[in-house]
Amino acid sequence: MTRKIAIYGKGGIGKSTTTQNTAAALAYYHNKHVFIHGCDPKADSTRLILGGKPQESVMDTLRIHGAEKVTLDKVVKTGYHDIRCVESGGPEPGVGCAGRGIITAINLMEENGAYTEDLDFIFFDVLGDVVCGGFAMPIRDGKAQEVYIVASGEMMAIYAANNICKGLVKYAKQSGVRLGGIICNSRNVDREKEFLEEFTAAIGTQMIHFVPRDNIVQRAEFNKKSVTEFDPDANQAQEYKTLGLKIVENDNFVIPKPLSMDELESMVVKYGMAS
Amino acid sequence: MTCDVKVKDRVGTINPIFTCQPAGAQFASIGIKDCIGIVHGGQGCVMFVRLLISQHLKESFEIASSSVHEDGAVFGACGRVEEGIDVLLARYPDIRVIPIITTCSTEVIGDDVDGVVTKLEEGLLKEKYAGREVHLLAIHTPSFVGSMVTGYDVAVRDFVRKFAKKGEPSDKINLITGWVNPGDVKELKHLLAEMDIEATVLFEIESFDSPMMPDGSAVSHGNTTIEDLVDTANAKATIALNRYEGGKAAEYLEKTFDIPTIIGPTPIGIRNTDSFLHTLKAITGQPIPQSLVRERGVALDALTDLTHMFLADKKVAIYGNPDLVIGLAEFCLDLEMKPVLLLLGDDNAAYVDDPRIKALRDNVDYGMEIITNADFWELENRIKNEGLELDLILGHSKGRFISIDYDIPMVRVGFPTYDRAGMYRHPVVGYGGAIWLVEQMANALFADMEHKKNKEWILNVW
Repeated sequence: MTRKIAIYGKGGIGKSTTTQNTAAALAYYHNKHVFIHGCDPKADSTRLILGGKPQESVMDTLRIHGAEKVTLDKVVKTGYHDIRCVESGGPEPGVGCAGRGIITAINLMEENGAYTEDLDFIFFDVLGDVVCGGFAMPIRDGKAQEVYIVASGEMMAIYAANNICKGLVKYAKQSGVRLGGIICNSRNVDREKEFLEEFTAAIGTQMIHFVPRDNIVQRAEFNKKSVTEFDPDANQAQEYKTLGLKIVENDNFVIPKPLSMDELESMVVKYGMAS
Repeated sequence: MTCDVKVKDRVGTINPIFTCQPAGAQFASIGIKDCIGIVHGGQGCVMFVRLLISQHLKESFEIASSSVHEDGAVFGACGRVEEGIDVLLARYPDIRVIPIITTCSTEVIGDDVDGVVTKLEEGLLKEKYAGREVHLLAIHTPSFVGSMVTGYDVAVRDFVRKFAKKGEPSDKINLITGWVNPGDVKELKHLLAEMDIEATVLFEIESFDSPMMPDGSAVSHGNTTIEDLVDTANAKATIALNRYEGGKAAEYLEKTFDIPTIIGPTPIGIRNTDSFLHTLKAITGQPIPQSLVRERGVALDALTDLTHMFLADKKVAIYGNPDLVIGLAEFCLDLEMKPVLLLLGDDNAAYVDDPRIKALRDNVDYGMEIITNADFWELENRIKNEGLELDLILGHSKGRFISIDYDIPMVRVGFPTYDRAGMYRHPVVGYGGAIWLVEQMANALFADMEHKKNKEWILNVW
């Protein structure tokens, strides 16, 4: 049974980095078959797996060659440890409709049978907040059943996570999607762990893992590699290994209870004042 | 001389030949009994389409709109579908099927209508309409994909996919007619009846040629039932007459339920009707009865009266739905006519590989152009600026101004035809259709001879 997972979170929080590093760890340490579907018009969700190899996105292929020419061998690339990757692609900033690009790309992948039965995990790495209907495509009926939100102890990341939960609540009823937890991608802010723990408890979920900040992630990125590939013995590789295992073993799936603005503000103030 | 297939290379469209996907889905939906579709989009997506269908059939029927406005476009408009379905169910106690037909706007904003179906099945239907049989399905027909033809194709498949369910094997066959007229369905059922074959017809739209009864009781609606659709999974074979209008449903049934499937040819003209009858015979073992041999003979007699003397070498332009256009072109060739220009109104990449189009390319011994993604300017420009001389145009009413402006006779055929009386009543398929078509074409040419004083005296001595 393939587990389809959508990763959401505030822009720049490290969704793509976390997704790719987790995917690499799942493949390397836990022997899982993994597929990453990048749902960001920038099409930068797979470069660490593909070693920086440029990947023609689904929407580029559609635009240049037409929808009927979008075939798996054209748009699906295989990278580190047989992780399969596809990028939706989409418009340049300021034009067109990126959300529609995601809808079209996922539909085309399903029509082409890209999400095969042998996969253990499919990750949808989705841009930013769930800003429009298109960005919720990965959590519609029959698609991702579980969601992880990447956040940090920074106020705006928590706001975004709370907002994403509002979207999830709506879809939980009609598609059965559940929140599997919040991944803390640490920014080294004060009392980050406690803040995240209090916030996740308040919305009824868990902080599934606290990924510490470590410069090796950046070094690996400069080398177009995941940490696991770059240095499997590094501490940070072990962190992603643990995160991978926690996801494999996770059985805590909930419909979140997002906070009101007042509740959220007072929580932010509490941690902000104390620092 | 050759037959070329070209894609219109000019940017933009001047007077389109087709409208968009939701129109096809709406035409399919009215073929089902106790079914009212709700189109999820702006009101025009229903209003203009319903008007078009209504103009064509000269009947009235129901299709609903979720009537999305600015707020819906910004905040998401699934709520309007939920409300709309509630209203439909409350106001129409007999409806059992509500397809939710999407449009460009609601596809772009990403409204999750499949989710709405799940939500309503778990909520509204259980809570407010418990005990009532109601089926909801989403039909995705973004207007910026394909055309009304693909919209029809997608909708037929989605209806079949929703209902088809394996049960007791049946002796019936599935007959998927494609986008045709009430008169065509009547003719097809006549052929089946003569061969003593029972069929589930998708869709039973004969009843749109509806009577006005003394008690005012008549209503126009399709008569294909949910039970018919369920039973499509148990048929001994499927025949889809039109590859591009029902082919997807036939392929779905073949793939899912292992039902032997034959797609095409569209039974327009003598040879294609012959093929259809031979297919029926091969599938069911039923012989072709003498009565049909006689009908064929009558048709051949009608054809021979006209072909060599009046139709031979007449240059024809044909536009409209692909299966219709190809079928008409084949028939014209059999009548010694010269279809010189075929216009297909969308850019389906499959056309160029269509075996019938390949056969045209292989066999035509004069210049023929087939233009895909065509608009009416492709026709008008050739007449106005490139010296194309035509004797006849075959197509739907949207091209009437070219016929009028350039004084070229035209036979109305296809969808929509609203500027001549009773066109929906007459078949183009079967031997009956062959007779009707050949005589319509001849009469149009005769009227033109009189109108242009062009050897009209011949008609005195014919």
